Amino acid sequence: MGAEGIAAVAPHAPARDGARRGRGIAYQIPRNSLALLMVAQVAVVLPFLLHLAPWLIAVCLFCCCWRYGVYQGRWDYPSRLLKALVVVAAVAGVALSNVPGFSLEAAASLLNLAFALKLIEMKNRRDAYVVIFLGYFLIATLFLFDQSMLQAGYQLFAIVVVTAAMVGMNQLATRVRPFSNLRLAGALILQALPLTVVVFLFFPRLAPLWSVPLPNASVTGLREEMTPGDVAELGRSDALAFRAVFTGAPPAPRELYWRALVYSRFDSGTWSVGPDPGAAAGPDFDRDETTARSYEVLLEPTFARWLVALETPLPESPGIVLTRDWRLQAPDPVLAVYRYRARAYSGAVPEPDLVRPMRARETALPAEDNPRIRAFAVALREATPDTRAFVDALLTHIRSEPYFYTLNPPVLPREHSIDRFWFETRRGFCTHYAGAVVFMLRAVGVPARLVGGYQGGEVNPITGHVVVRQYDAHAWVEYWQPGAGWIRVDPTGAVAPARIEQGLRAALSAEDRASLPVLGGVRLRESGMVRGLLDWVDSLDHRWNLWVVGYDGQLQADVLKRLLGEVTPLRIGIAVATGGALSGAVVALILFWRRRPPSRHPVERMFAGFCARMARLGWARRPDEPPGSYLDRVAAAAGQSADARARTIARLNGLLYNPAAPGGRAELRQLRGELRRLQFRLAFGPSSGVPG
Amino acid sequence: MTVRALVSALNGVLLGKEPQIRLALACLLARGHLLIEDLPGMGKTLLSHALARVLGLRFQRIQFTSDLLPGDVIGSSVFDRETGAFRFVEGPLFAEVILADEINRATPKTQSALLEAMEEHQVTADGVTRRLPEPFFVIATQNPVTQTGTFPLPESQLDRFLMRIELGYPDPDAERELLRGGDRRAALERLEPVVDAAGLAALQAAVEQVRVADPLIDYVQRLVGYSRRGGQFAFGLSPRGALALLKAARAWALLSERTHVVPEDVQAVLPGVVEHRLREAADYAGHGGGALAQQLLAGVDVVG
Repeated sequence: MGAEGIAAVAPHAPARDGARRGRGIAYQIPRNSLALLMVAQVAVVLPFLLHLAPWLIAVCLFCCCWRYGVYQGRWDYPSRLLKALVVVAAVAGVALSNVPGFSLEAAASLLNLAFALKLIEMKNRRDAYVVIFLGYFLIATLFLFDQSMLQAGYQLFAIVVVTAAMVGMNQLATRVRPFSNLRLAGALILQALPLTVVVFLFFPRLAPLWSVPLPNASVTGLREEMTPGDVAELGRSDALAFRAVFTGAPPAPRELYWRALVYSRFDSGTWSVGPDPGAAAGPDFDRDETTARSYEVLLEPTFARWLVALETPLPESPGIVLTRDWRLQAPDPVLAVYRYRARAYSGAVPEPDLVRPMRARETALPAEDNPRIRAFAVALREATPDTRAFVDALLTHIRSEPYFYTLNPPVLPREHSIDRFWFETRRGFCTHYAGAVVFMLRAVGVPARLVGGYQGGEVNPITGHVVVRQYDAHAWVEYWQPGAGWIRVDPTGAVAPARIEQGLRAALSAEDRASLPVLGGVRLRESGMVRGLLDWVDSLDHRWNLWVVGYDGQLQADVLKRLLGEVTPLRIGIAVATGGALSGAVVALILFWRRRPPSRHPVERMFAGFCARMARLGWARRPDEPPGSYLDRVAAAAGQSADARARTIARLNGLLYNPAAPGGRAELRQLRGELRRLQFRLAFGPSSGVPG
Repeated sequence: MTVRALVSALNGVLLGKEPQIRLALACLLARGHLLIEDLPGMGKTLLSHALARVLGLRFQRIQFTSDLLPGDVIGSSVFDRETGAFRFVEGPLFAEVILADEINRATPKTQSALLEAMEEHQVTADGVTRRLPEPFFVIATQNPVTQTGTFPLPESQLDRFLMRIELGYPDPDAERELLRGGDRRAALERLEPVVDAAGLAALQAAVEQVRVADPLIDYVQRLVGYSRRGGQFAFGLSPRGALALLKAARAWALLSERTHVVPEDVQAVLPGVVEHRLREAADYAGHGGGALAQQLLAGVDVVG
């Protein structure tokens, strides 16, 4: 309140402002809530640090500091002119920063700015509510950028803080207990969780009404153009590429060639995808179901349409296109974790005859590039006219000559890059070797192409899924033979067999290993506690993707069918109502349990039972009647002698109220017997001959 | 048994008032101060004198009047010509039992002089704190505030009295015997102490040994809680009130020759202990404690 008061008398505060503030204390923001609001703001803005320009965060922190100054009573609110200037500067800043105008980043940046700037002009309750609801909205917005479990956990915390600020808004100004507010908000959110689960399960997954502009695609991953060396960059990243779940045991890692992109064009040292070959006419290869493998892939966002698949693929999820170069393609760019099923027919020969345009596509080479290797290939071809023998000769050449496998190859020029690599540097990564082999095959007229994707992967021992990371990125060769179709050759296996058999780490030199990130280095180790922990985190994350992020319309329909049998609006309504009632009942049960009467002494329980039975006989105890007096009354009515009464009363009072009495089970049994006899006498009259 | 002897000795002086006598004894055995309130001529002073005598205590009587000053009670410094220095002359407060007769006729200033003495058993005069003898009881009598020439006792002071009892008119039989019999003052003169200082200390120690079980503490807590939540109460019982209730109940249990407290003990002492501590919400300044105590008793279940 101090801050508001000082601000109100500050000489340069506009008079109208002062008058507005003069509307009274009821419109002021309680100080307690103000502190929580500032904490909430930091908590909400902080995760955006990973996705937005750093200067935005600086603006937010600056506003927070200013507001803290106001809170402390040292500074005044900024003047109107200054505020206008800041708004213009901020919008201009967003416009000038290198994000596209109508992108998610631009929108989120503006929202964050508005959120931060509102803080320094927040004067009464209405403003505070605007900040609170904007906070909730920003929390939801962040899920457009990141849907990981860690993120969700953090956002839950942010929701609690924002809710605590709202709780504070509705409290007396004299109550300054931020931690009890946080506790209350936490309890509120916890109570809401069961209902959240119900709504999550049943709320219809609507198709988007409008498309969200893409976030900036500056992510690591395969690209549609590849210059030898690119994959080496990927090799240093331990970011997740995708997870795959096989029906049955996963195959050995060396068999796992995940095809993603096919590079058919070579130009000035760069391989590229080339024009879209279009969709395949149909899965017209002969399918042997006995060797087919069924699997499900959860692909991390790639911001492109390509999907990974084992050869030869057949999509099982709707909407996925099988292209003419036997790849799978999503209907839209993959912006969030994308989930699909596919089958792989490893023995199939999909393309026994190559049509003319495809043959032209897969044999094209620039006319003048790399003359030396061309000559080398033609010479070798003359020595070995058979294509298979020619390929073997190439691999033998790589194996026998001093070629080296390294993540840090020398930089190659754009012109004659393959010549330079093959004859001079002789150090390279998978792309170098595969690119050179494709070039030589094409040079002698064999259709060949460079395939990019991922090779291998680790099996998580906990959930049994295969984890493929960016460092598993790989490139290999496919060449075509009449009748045999496309044949895969991996020249990397010739230079570094360990890369294929045991994964990247085995193939790396000490120098290469030193250039890996810390976690990546740990992941590549075979065992150890950290490795176990990482496996566990990975399995958690996998389940999250499987059941929360991957819970799309399709899965929802399946789950609903299993839950409800038949999906009708009425049944869904009943299910939602039941779920809501159940989650409400959980909260009610907890409240009920917390208000239960404290557990009672056995004597008290026994006496309470006696009172209840006597009440049914018409001898109720008045609430204010002490047990002894009550017993005296009913025993007198039953005609007991004064002595007997006194003994029973002494026993009861001793058991109930004398902590030092010998008590024990015997005494309790005795008393129970006496009370029973008394009850019996009252029920059937003293003349019934029962001793007592 | 000592307690029986005490009761019968007092019964011989104040006829037909055994419940009140027991309450008064319980109050003193629980080391509490006692306030006796009734109309003039009901035997208040007689009871207080008799109590002091049977307990074998050195007592002083202070007649409170509207012009009584604190110095008259506590004592004051007097210049001694022989030594040439001031000497503190102890006032009537320095005794084991103070009979504060008609306490509510003194001004609040004088009444407040009693506050420290009653709670801390010490007095402060001229900046020097002096201990009062042990034991130290105040037995005060007062006329109802509706009588002329009385000041209401402040709540803080009322709270310091463990019990307030009323004597009431004697029943016809007792009154007949009273009218027939000789002078009550003479009977008082003949009264011999039943216990000595050591005996009284032993009795007080025995009160503290009386055991209280958890169900009974629950009952006391329910009583206190009811007084704090019930709408008819202007304010609830203080923790000191709850302690007082339990202390008095212990003494009552001892008078009933029991070593543990039963709910009957609490109910017996409850009106005496709480009536002067309660106010009706509808009549804040009024004196409706009696009805409230009955409501409290009737409204709270003895067994959870």
